[in-house]
Amino acid sequence: MSGFAVRNRIREFRQQRADMTQADLAQACGVTRQTIIALEAEKYSPSLELAFRLARSLGRNLEELFRYEEKN
Amino acid sequence: MTRIQRRVQALLAVAVLGAAGMFLGGEGWPGIDFGPVGAALLYAALWLFVVHLAKYCGEVFPAEWSPAERQAWVALVFVALIGLHVLNLLDALPELGAEADQLRNSATRPLWTNVGMLVFGWIVIASILRRQDTGGVDLDERDLRIAHSASRFADGGMSLLIIGLVVALVALPEHSRTWLRPMIAANVLIALLLARTLVENIYTVLRYRRERG
Repeated sequence: MSGFAVRNRIREFRQQRADMTQADLAQACGVTRQTIIALEAEKYSPSLELAFRLARSLGRNLEELFRYEEKN
Repeated sequence: MTRIQRRVQALLAVAVLGAAGMFLGGEGWPGIDFGPVGAALLYAALWLFVVHLAKYCGEVFPAEWSPAERQAWVALVFVALIGLHVLNLLDALPELGAEADQLRNSATRPLWTNVGMLVFGWIVIASILRRQDTGGVDLDERDLRIAHSASRFADGGMSLLIIGLVVALVALPEHSRTWLRPMIAANVLIALLLARTLVENIYTVLRYRRERG
Protein backbone atom coordinates (compact mmCIF):
# COMPACT_ATOMS: atom_id res chain seq x y z
CA MET A 1 0.00 0.00 0.00
CA SER A 2 2.72 2.49 0.94
CA GLY A 3 4.39 2.06 -2.47
CA PHE A 4 1.54 3.91 -4.18
CA ALA A 5 0.71 7.60 -4.37
CA VAL A 6 -2.05 9.83 -5.74
CA ARG A 7 -0.70 11.86 -8.67
CA ASN A 8 -2.61 14.72 -10.26
CA ARG A 9 -2.57 16.99 -13.29
CA ILE A 10 -4.21 19.99 -11.62
CA ARG A 11 -1.44 22.45 -12.53
CA GLU A 12 -1.33 21.24 -16.13
CA PHE A 13 -5.10 21.55 -16.67
CA ARG A 14 -5.27 24.89 -14.82
CA GLN A 15 -2.49 26.34 -16.95
CA GLN A 16 -4.31 25.21 -20.10
CA ARG A 17 -6.99 27.68 -19.03
CA ALA A 18 -4.84 30.76 -19.45
CA ASP A 19 -7.08 32.99 -17.37
CA MET A 20 -7.33 30.66 -14.37
CA THR A 21 -5.06 31.49 -11.43
CA GLN A 22 -4.55 29.39 -8.29
CA ALA A 23 -6.71 31.92 -6.44
CA ASP A 24 -9.53 31.51 -9.01
CA LEU A 25 -9.43 27.73 -8.70
CA ALA A 26 -9.32 27.98 -4.91
CA GLN A 27 -12.37 30.23 -4.88
CA ALA A 28 -14.25 27.94 -7.28
CA CYS A 29 -13.54 24.92 -5.04
CA GLY A 30 -14.06 26.65 -1.66
CA VAL A 31 -10.51 26.13 -0.38
CA THR A 32 -7.54 28.39 0.34
CA ARG A 33 -4.98 29.21 -2.36
CA GLN A 34 -2.37 27.49 -0.18
CA THR A 35 -4.32 24.21 -0.46
CA ILE A 36 -4.21 24.47 -4.26
CA ILE A 37 -0.43 25.02 -3.99
CA ALA A 38 -0.12 21.89 -1.79
CA LEU A 39 -2.30 19.90 -4.21
CA GLU A 40 -0.31 20.97 -7.27
CA ALA A 41 2.92 20.06 -5.50
CA GLU A 42 1.34 16.66 -4.66
CA LYS A 43 2.00 17.25 -0.98
CA TYR A 44 -1.67 16.78 -0.14
CA SER A 45 -4.30 14.30 -1.32
CA PRO A 46 -7.80 15.80 -1.44
CA SER A 47 -11.00 14.31 -0.08
CA LEU A 48 -13.33 12.70 -2.64
CA GLU A 49 -15.65 15.70 -2.46
CA LEU A 50 -12.84 18.18 -3.16
CA ALA A 51 -11.56 15.95 -5.97
CA PHE A 52 -15.00 16.17 -7.63
CA ARG A 53 -15.10 19.95 -7.15
CA LEU A 54 -11.62 20.29 -8.70
CA ALA A 55 -12.60 18.11 -11.65
CA ARG A 56 -15.80 20.09 -12.23
CA SER A 57 -13.98 23.46 -11.96
CA LEU A 58 -11.36 22.34 -14.48
CA GLY A 59 -13.93 20.75 -16.80
CA ARG A 60 -12.37 17.28 -16.55
CA ASN A 61 -13.35 13.96 -15.09
CA LEU A 62 -11.69 12.31 -12.11
CA GLU A 63 -9.77 9.73 -14.14
CA GLU A 64 -8.14 12.46 -16.20
CA LEU A 65 -7.27 14.56 -13.17
CA PHE A 66 -6.00 11.90 -10.75
CA ARG A 67 -3.95 8.74 -11.08
CA TYR A 68 -3.09 6.18 -8.44
CA GLU A 69 0.32 4.90 -9.31
CA GLU A 70 3.47 3.40 -7.92
CA LYS A 71 5.98 5.79 -6.38
CA ASN A 72 9.25 6.21 -8.29
CA MET B 1 11.18 38.79 1.39
CA THR B 2 9.50 42.21 1.43
CA ARG B 3 10.63 45.31 3.37
CA ILE B 4 7.71 44.86 5.80
CA GLN B 5 8.62 41.21 6.43
CA ARG B 6 12.26 42.20 7.14
CA ARG B 7 10.99 44.80 9.60
CA VAL B 8 8.76 42.21 11.29
CA GLN B 9 11.72 39.82 11.55
CA ALA B 10 13.73 42.56 13.26
CA LEU B 11 10.81 43.11 15.67
CA LEU B 12 10.75 39.37 16.44
CA ALA B 13 14.49 39.43 17.14
CA VAL B 14 13.94 42.33 19.56
CA ALA B 15 11.05 40.40 21.17
CA VAL B 16 13.27 37.31 21.64
CA LEU B 17 16.00 39.49 23.16
CA GLY B 18 13.40 41.11 25.43
CA ALA B 19 12.01 37.72 26.50
CA ALA B 20 15.55 36.50 27.26
CA GLY B 21 16.18 39.59 29.40
CA MET B 22 12.81 39.26 31.09
CA PHE B 23 13.13 35.59 32.02
CA LEU B 24 16.88 35.16 32.43
CA GLY B 25 18.11 38.70 33.11
CA GLY B 26 17.48 38.72 36.87
CA GLU B 27 20.57 36.63 37.54
CA GLY B 28 22.67 37.94 34.67
CA TRP B 29 25.28 40.64 34.94
CA PRO B 30 26.21 41.09 38.62
CA GLY B 31 24.16 43.83 40.19
CA ILE B 32 22.00 44.55 37.15
CA ASP B 33 18.46 43.24 36.76
CA PHE B 34 17.59 43.10 33.06
CA GLY B 35 14.04 41.91 33.78
CA PRO B 36 12.20 45.27 33.51
CA VAL B 37 14.24 46.32 30.42
CA GLY B 38 13.54 42.93 28.79
CA ALA B 39 9.82 43.21 29.56
CA ALA B 40 9.72 46.74 28.08
CA LEU B 41 11.51 45.53 24.92
CA LEU B 42 9.21 42.50 24.57
CA TYR B 43 5.97 44.44 24.97
CA ALA B 44 7.18 47.32 22.77
CA ALA B 45 8.06 44.81 20.00
CA LEU B 46 4.67 43.08 20.35
CA TRP B 47 2.85 46.43 20.24
CA LEU B 48 4.78 47.48 17.11
CA PHE B 49 3.93 44.09 15.57
CA VAL B 50 0.22 44.77 16.18
CA VAL B 51 0.63 48.23 14.57
CA HIS B 52 2.34 46.68 11.51
CA LEU B 53 -0.31 43.99 11.25
CA ALA B 54 -3.13 46.54 11.40
CA LYS B 55 -1.42 48.86 8.89
CA TYR B 56 0.05 46.45 6.34
CA CYS B 57 -2.37 43.54 6.86
CA GLY B 58 -1.55 40.98 4.12
CA GLU B 59 2.15 41.90 3.80
CA VAL B 60 3.32 40.84 7.27
CA PHE B 61 3.23 37.07 6.72
CA PRO B 62 4.58 35.24 3.64
CA ALA B 63 1.88 34.85 0.96
CA GLU B 64 2.34 31.07 0.93
CA TRP B 65 1.11 30.80 4.53
CA SER B 66 -2.61 30.00 4.79
CA PRO B 67 -4.80 31.94 7.27
CA ALA B 68 -4.86 28.92 9.61
CA GLU B 69 -1.05 28.63 9.47
CA ARG B 70 -0.72 32.32 10.37
CA GLN B 71 -3.04 31.81 13.36
CA ALA B 72 -0.99 28.75 14.41
CA TRP B 73 2.26 30.77 14.38
CA VAL B 74 0.68 33.53 16.46
CA ALA B 75 -0.71 30.96 18.90
CA LEU B 76 2.71 29.28 19.13
CA VAL B 77 4.45 32.54 20.09
CA PHE B 78 1.84 33.55 22.69
CA VAL B 79 1.53 30.09 24.27
CA ALA B 80 5.34 29.92 24.52
CA LEU B 81 5.43 33.33 26.24
CA ILE B 82 2.62 32.41 28.66
CA GLY B 83 4.39 29.08 29.32
CA LEU B 84 7.62 30.93 30.19
CA HIS B 85 5.69 33.05 32.69
CA VAL B 86 4.23 29.94 34.35
CA LEU B 87 7.68 28.28 34.48
CA ASN B 88 9.04 31.47 36.03
CA LEU B 89 6.28 31.31 38.64
CA LEU B 90 6.99 27.64 39.35
CA ASP B 91 10.61 28.62 39.94
CA ALA B 92 9.63 31.39 42.38
CA LEU B 93 6.80 29.70 44.35
CA PRO B 94 8.84 27.21 46.46
CA GLU B 95 10.83 30.11 47.94
CA LEU B 96 7.63 31.73 49.28
CA GLY B 97 6.85 28.91 51.73
CA ALA B 98 3.32 29.15 53.20
CA GLU B 99 2.62 32.36 51.23
CA ALA B 100 2.68 30.25 48.03
CA ASP B 101 -0.75 28.82 48.95
CA GLN B 102 -2.45 32.21 48.70
CA LEU B 103 -4.11 32.85 45.34
CA ARG B 104 -2.67 36.37 45.20
CA ASN B 105 0.87 36.38 46.49
CA SER B 106 3.98 38.38 45.57
CA ALA B 107 4.87 35.93 42.76
CA THR B 108 1.43 35.54 41.14
CA ARG B 109 0.47 39.23 41.04
CA PRO B 110 2.91 40.23 38.25
CA LEU B 111 2.07 36.96 36.46
CA TRP B 112 -1.63 37.80 36.15
CA THR B 113 -0.79 41.26 34.78
CA ASN B 114 1.65 39.88 32.20
CA VAL B 115 -0.55 36.95 31.16
CA GLY B 116 -3.54 39.30 30.91
CA MET B 117 -1.57 41.62 28.59
CA LEU B 118 -0.44 38.67 26.48
CA VAL B 119 -3.95 37.23 26.16
CA PHE B 120 -5.26 40.69 25.20
CA GLY B 121 -2.51 41.04 22.57
CA TRP B 122 -3.28 37.54 21.25
CA ILE B 123 -7.00 38.34 20.91
CA VAL B 124 -6.24 41.61 19.08
CA ILE B 125 -3.80 39.95 16.63
CA ALA B 126 -6.12 36.98 16.01
CA SER B 127 -9.05 39.30 15.27
CA ILE B 128 -6.94 41.41 12.86
CA LEU B 129 -5.89 38.20 11.07
CA ARG B 130 -9.52 37.06 10.81
CA ARG B 131 -10.47 40.34 9.14
CA GLN B 132 -7.80 39.96 6.42
CA ASP B 133 -9.08 39.40 2.93
CA THR B 134 -8.26 35.79 2.12
CA GLY B 135 -10.50 35.28 -0.87
CA GLY B 136 -13.48 34.13 1.17
CA VAL B 137 -12.03 30.92 2.69
CA ASP B 138 -10.23 30.95 6.04
CA LEU B 139 -10.39 27.28 6.91
CA ASP B 140 -10.70 24.31 4.57
CA GLU B 141 -10.46 20.51 4.71
CA ARG B 142 -6.63 20.52 4.69
CA ASP B 143 -6.55 22.89 7.69
CA LEU B 144 -9.08 20.72 9.54
CA ARG B 145 -7.11 17.57 8.75
CA ILE B 146 -3.89 19.16 10.03
CA ALA B 147 -5.69 20.45 13.16
CA HIS B 148 -7.06 16.95 13.81
CA SER B 149 -3.64 15.29 13.40
CA ALA B 150 -2.03 17.96 15.61
CA SER B 151 -4.65 17.41 18.30
CA ARG B 152 -4.11 13.64 18.27
CA PHE B 153 -0.33 14.08 18.39
CA ALA B 154 -0.63 16.53 21.30
CA ASP B 155 -2.96 14.16 23.18
CA GLY B 156 -0.31 11.43 22.85
CA GLY B 157 2.33 13.85 24.12
CA MET B 158 0.06 14.90 27.01
CA SER B 159 -0.40 11.25 28.04
CA LEU B 160 3.38 10.79 28.10
CA LEU B 161 3.82 14.00 30.12
CA ILE B 162 1.22 12.90 32.69
CA ILE B 163 2.79 9.44 32.99
CA GLY B 164 6.20 11.14 33.40
CA LEU B 165 4.80 13.41 36.12
CA VAL B 166 3.19 10.49 37.96
CA VAL B 167 6.44 8.50 37.84
CA ALA B 168 8.39 11.55 39.04
CA LEU B 169 5.99 12.11 41.96
CA VAL B 170 6.03 8.47 43.00
CA ALA B 171 9.81 8.26 42.73
CA LEU B 172 10.36 11.49 44.68
CA PRO B 173 11.78 10.83 48.19
CA GLU B 174 9.34 11.85 50.91
CA HIS B 175 11.56 14.62 52.32
CA SER B 176 11.68 16.25 48.86
CA ARG B 177 7.89 16.40 48.57
CA THR B 178 7.50 19.31 50.99
CA TRP B 179 7.85 21.83 48.14
CA LEU B 180 4.80 20.34 46.44
CA ARG B 181 2.20 22.68 47.94
CA PRO B 182 -1.35 22.79 46.48
CA MET B 183 -0.72 26.02 44.54
CA ILE B 184 2.49 24.59 43.06
CA ALA B 185 0.66 21.39 42.03
CA ALA B 186 -2.08 23.55 40.43
CA ASN B 187 0.53 25.47 38.44
CA VAL B 188 2.26 22.24 37.38
CA LEU B 189 -1.08 21.13 35.90
CA ILE B 190 -1.46 24.50 34.12
CA ALA B 191 2.09 24.07 32.78
CA LEU B 192 1.10 20.61 31.47
CA LEU B 193 -1.90 22.08 29.64
CA LEU B 194 0.29 24.79 28.13
CA ALA B 195 2.87 22.16 27.11
CA ARG B 196 0.13 20.24 25.32
CA THR B 197 -1.00 23.37 23.44
CA LEU B 198 2.61 24.19 22.60
CA VAL B 199 3.20 20.69 21.19
CA GLU B 200 -0.03 21.00 19.16
CA ASN B 201 1.06 24.32 17.66
CA ILE B 202 4.61 23.15 16.94
CA TYR B 203 3.22 20.06 15.16
CA THR B 204 0.79 22.28 13.19
CA VAL B 205 3.42 24.73 11.89
CA LEU B 206 5.84 21.92 11.05
CA ARG B 207 3.13 20.04 9.14
CA TYR B 208 2.26 23.13 7.10
CA ARG B 209 5.94 23.64 6.38
CA ARG B 210 6.33 20.00 5.25
CA GLU B 211 3.28 20.21 2.97
CA ARG B 212 4.74 23.28 1.26
CA GLY B 213 7.74 21.16 0.36
